[in-house]
Amino acid sequence: MTLLGISVFGQNSSTTNQKQIYNARDKVMPAVVHIQPVIKNYTTGELEKQAVVGSGIVFHPEGYVVTNYHVAGKAERIICTLYDKEIVSAEFIGGDPPTDIAVIKLNLDEHKGPLVMAEFGNSDSVQVGQYVLAMGSPFALSRSVSAGVISTRDRYFSPDVRLPSGERTGSYNLWIQTDAAINPGNSGGPLVDLTGKVVGINSRATLFANNLGFAIPINVVREVTQAILTEGKVTRSWLGIHCQALVELEGYFGTERNNGVLVSSIDPGSPADQGFLKAGDIILKVNGQAVSARFVEELPAFYYMISKFAPGTKISLEVLRGAETFNFSMATKSLGELQGDDFEAKGWGFTVKGITRQMRLENQLEDTIGVIVSGVKRVGFAEDGGLTRGDVITAINSNELADLAEFIGIYNQMTSAEQEKVLLTVRRGKGIRYMVITADKSKGVSLNEELQTE
Amino acid sequence: MKSCKLNNCLWAILFQLILLVSAPPVSSQNFDFSKLEPQVSAYTVIVEVQIEVSFGINSSDQEERYLGTIVSDDGLVVFDGTDLASDNLFSSFSGVTVKTTPTKVGVTTLDGLHYDGEFLGYDRFTKVGFLKIISPQEKHFSPIKFNKHHQFRVGEWLALYMIMPDFVSPPLAADIGMVSSLIESPEPFPLTVGFNAMQLTAVLYNSAYEPVGMLGNMMDPASSSADMGGMLESMESSGIPLLGVITGDRIEQLIATPPTKGEIERGWLGISLQALTKDIAEFWGLPLSGGIIVNEIIRNSPAAAGGLKIGDIIYQVNGEPIAVDREEKVAVFQRMIAALGPSAQVELGVMRSSDGAQDSVTLLVTLQKAPISPSDAPDYEDLSLELTVRELVFADYMVNNLDSEDFKGVVVSELTPGGPASIAGLSLGDVIQRVGSTEIRSVAEAQKALEKVSSAHPKEVIFFIWRQNQTMFVNVKPNWN
Repeated sequence: MTLLGISVFGQNSSTTNQKQIYNARDKVMPAVVHIQPVIKNYTTGELEKQAVVGSGIVFHPEGYVVTNYHVAGKAERIICTLYDKEIVSAEFIGGDPPTDIAVIKLNLDEHKGPLVMAEFGNSDSVQVGQYVLAMGSPFALSRSVSAGVISTRDRYFSPDVRLPSGERTGSYNLWIQTDAAINPGNSGGPLVDLTGKVVGINSRATLFANNLGFAIPINVVREVTQAILTEGKVTRSWLGIHCQALVELEGYFGTERNNGVLVSSIDPGSPADQGFLKAGDIILKVNGQAVSARFVEELPAFYYMISKFAPGTKISLEVLRGAETFNFSMATKSLGELQGDDFEAKGWGFTVKGITRQMRLENQLEDTIGVIVSGVKRVGFAEDGGLTRGDVITAINSNELADLAEFIGIYNQMTSAEQEKVLLTVRRGKGIRYMVITADKSKGVSLNEELQTE
Repeated sequence: MKSCKLNNCLWAILFQLILLVSAPPVSSQNFDFSKLEPQVSAYTVIVEVQIEVSFGINSSDQEERYLGTIVSDDGLVVFDGTDLASDNLFSSFSGVTVKTTPTKVGVTTLDGLHYDGEFLGYDRFTKVGFLKIISPQEKHFSPIKFNKHHQFRVGEWLALYMIMPDFVSPPLAADIGMVSSLIESPEPFPLTVGFNAMQLTAVLYNSAYEPVGMLGNMMDPASSSADMGGMLESMESSGIPLLGVITGDRIEQLIATPPTKGEIERGWLGISLQALTKDIAEFWGLPLSGGIIVNEIIRNSPAAAGGLKIGDIIYQVNGEPIAVDREEKVAVFQRMIAALGPSAQVELGVMRSSDGAQDSVTLLVTLQKAPISPSDAPDYEDLSLELTVRELVFADYMVNNLDSEDFKGVVVSELTPGGPASIAGLSLGDVIQRVGSTEIRSVAEAQKALEKVSSAHPKEVIFFIWRQNQTMFVNVKPNWN
């Protein structure tokens, strides 16, 4: 049984392949980074620090490393071990939850040896069945290589998947599936072809399955990392539409094959809503260019196309509604942040988040006013008062709050004044509730540095 | 030496204690169950119920056996209705409706006479179930008579009969327990010790062999699903069963107006509410030691019609003070409103703040019938698509934060695994808003549309549904063979 692996690549071509694997290994392995971030978790009602392990790849001579957002996105400090076993600290540069990509920068002053960087390939030209290597730190075992083939290059995942930090992810790309073993800890590491070029960033795997790993195509990574390096983040346009594959519905809508994208849902208050689009509309053309999504695998490309417009761009849509074709024109808006910033109200025993527009939509809130409770400490002052996760705090001692900054201001003011009891006005579902919590005076004023933009 | 003395002392005290505990013969030892037998055998019956329990994608039949007590001469019987009280608390959250339907009810007297019975319903607070014996000749039964004036004391012994499994004879066994505390708050009831939850709704006898009440779980969620605030609170409260006495006068009240179909109809105000705790009263500078804070007024509800406003504090109902100063006591207020019954005229004493000053206002409100729960909602089963849809009810709007004016449809409440609707991807809790191009606003409309589908035998049926804040289309391919 243990000998199985030897014949993986067949006998005839084994010598050539073996050479290619060595070659690819030598090109990329020295650029693979073992990443140990300490990430911040606010979901238990207090700021908890967690040491996690992931992988990354150096892609820039100044020491930039690409990894997953779920590895380094909420990191407060990052320690990296390079291929030469040197330990170097790194800082978080920027991240993009929708694609689960983050960029960190190695502190090169701490590194003695030369820095090796990997070369990005072209993920559009990979083929199913093509040999690939996965490199990284499965279960924290650094400098590990596994081998396999590309199992499929257009794996679709529903955008309902969420990152541990709460953001929906994966709407804008398909995934490269591989049978090269990918385990927890491989996240952020490279998927490499036999020419020694990175074709994907390993990000997901199906647990308890045999070798079902998924990588973000490197062409997506290239674009996202460039945006992070030049602008600090990825800016996307937002229309507020959700689409559905047409394949099963062409008969019902009377459309021809490969013609149009079906709008299945409209976010209230979105540009699409204000532009009078409706669920059931079929978008035939965007700015004169024909679009279609007959299969789910075609949806990410359409969402990507919309996202690429500069926010505020007026776009024209040719739409089939019933038997008639209409032209709509609407200006996109910026997608904005998916999740708000976190804050620990230590003396009050709970954590809160600012409310972004996307959070308003997901939580069915009427507006983005107030802060949302992200965690309540078990056996805490806030728990006694009946506060629960998901509550929206709209006022403290009857002073209305607009946003997180105001919450922090009032919190700091009240904790430094050692105010013992606090009356929170809370919105829960349709109703409001009032809650009195008793502050713990021993927990001092939280510092503003808790508020970080990530 | 000192310690020796102390030891002696302790021994003396212990000895005395032992004497005290064991010396006088306790009344439980003297309880002569044979004295109870004649009256018990006259009104005690064995109730056998076949129950169909359906929850979403599954349904199963179960047979339950209860101890029943005849409470009227025309054959009204009370028994433990817990199994038949559908869980309507979680159904709106998960989309899964747990529905219990008694399919067959049989009653057997202790002298072996069999009758068919008809299930009438249950009281949502005490979980007492009601059934009516169907007797061919207007037979007169000899019902139980409760002593309504018994004064319960801590330490007094109480006796009951419990039912044994059907392979054991005789069917009844005796048990003894004790009143362990006279609970005052959130509402008064005698707490018992020595009994267990298998004995719920058994008749309790005092040492004078008089029936004085029935065993009840006094801390069951007492709030109505109509009042969201209380609903969440009761979910948060601990699930420890507190077995206590449902007193004779309470039972007499229930017997006086037994349910006709399902639950006993209850009064409804139509507000979200919370307790005016001491802390909140202090913050607002209110001279009240408790009350109900009105957090939300339901559209078209009695509260709206009666002029209640958000932020009002109800501190009196029909002149009686409402001393609700803890969340746990909210249920007492809800129970009080429920017990007043639909269409009752209620005078509410309300404290209203304006510009920092408080005014006291008296409002006259006419209660309405409480909205039905998801498990009681009318439904329609489509046999060819293998799905059941039910009416959207009040709790759905509350839980999902939806506007009852704008949002219409029917809820998918049951699906057969492997059936056409299930394999097409419909899920429990989906709200169907359109079938083909027909708008669906009610179960009646859904039924009409689906019956039309059944007769037309199309290859596919397109549903437009709402699921978790988004809409989508689902193509269901019926199997007409």
